[in-house]
Amino acid sequence: MMTWPQRIVLLLLGLGILALTLELIRRRRLREEYAVLWVCTGIMILFFVVMPNVLFSVGAWLSLDHGVLMTFLCFLFLAAIVLHYSVVISRHSEREKHLAQELALMRDELEKLRAESRESPPPPAEPKPRPPALRT
Amino acid sequence: MSSVLTDAPYRSTRDLAGHRALVVVPAYNEAEAIGRTVRDLRRQAPWTDVLVINDGSTDETAECARRAGAKVINLPVNLGIGGAVQTGYRYACENNYDLAFQFDGDGQHRARRLPDLARPLMAGEADLVVGSRFLRPRGATSSVSRVTGIKILAAAVSLVMRQRITDPTSGFRGVGRRGIELFASVYPQDYPEPESLVLVHKHGLRVREVPAAMRRRRGGASSIGPWIGLHYMAKVLLAILMEALKAPVRLEEEVAQ
Repeated sequence: MMTWPQRIVLLLLGLGILALTLELIRRRRLREEYAVLWVCTGIMILFFVVMPNVLFSVGAWLSLDHGVLMTFLCFLFLAAIVLHYSVVISRHSEREKHLAQELALMRDELEKLRAESRESPPPPAEPKPRPPALRT
Repeated sequence: MSSVLTDAPYRSTRDLAGHRALVVVPAYNEAEAIGRTVRDLRRQAPWTDVLVINDGSTDETAECARRAGAKVINLPVNLGIGGAVQTGYRYACENNYDLAFQFDGDGQHRARRLPDLARPLMAGEADLVVGSRFLRPRGATSSVSRVTGIKILAAAVSLVMRQRITDPTSGFRGVGRRGIELFASVYPQDYPEPESLVLVHKHGLRVREVPAAMRRRRGGASSIGPWIGLHYMAKVLLAILMEALKAPVRLEEEVAQ
């Protein structure tokens, strides 16, 4: 069973995580796509506060006592976060590579255009017609 | 078309029957050797355009290459061999080259042998042609341990591709238009030579090896030192396996992005 102090601490923890996540999104410091895991975590904790027996029956089914079960859950959660970050990092390094290549190719293009324009200076611009006076 | 199938060296791009050829030379701190490599290419393969990809070098690589007559593209950050080579393929793709070759900046590849790579591509017999040091016994100039390592990799790549490959680590290679387009959209990062063979195979392109003798390097160091040899082997084998398991990209989608 879960004692009341345990429940209160977990309740505060779950609410705290959710509030912090939402606040960070609201301030645009955290993008939604990366917040999903944190929101899920908060909801899971709240779920365990409300229905701790679900968790404990899973523990009993795996023959784990509460301490080991909690450690296991923490590990699972951290592994999920780290895996998620690895995916994000891979995506970002692919993008970074793409951007660096694009930048290098464009700088080359720019130098070529500059060299061309030095060789054949553009015809002198015609004097701009004066804008008609505004009539009000 | 027929003239290009005769002997090297070609004098001009006219010999290529309208094909445009680009030689991509990835270079990271190769100032010692790059100038001579580029001059060799210009002299012995005048039918190609030479493009040096300066992968964020901290020495005079870019300046030396430009003075020797190469076109130079400077990457703003060091991307590693895969990213640098891919930049060259993207350049080839955007500028409508028909053939693109990879050529090491350290002087171990021979510009005179580029037509050997070009011939099967132009005859439409292959989409990727690799110059192999091991198709003829005299070709190899490498230590015993390195040759053994390459043989193990060759066995693995051959197994995956169901085709005999003798020199999967050779960076002396050329591709036709299909290969250019594939590599412009996806190219392996860490150990691109063996991995790209598997990649090409998975996308249904034809690979062919031709004999190619190589020289000892003129300057710089191999990216594979003796100490990390075993480590390298294990990682490359893993990478080949992973490459074999990856889903092929659909080119149209990639290009559209």
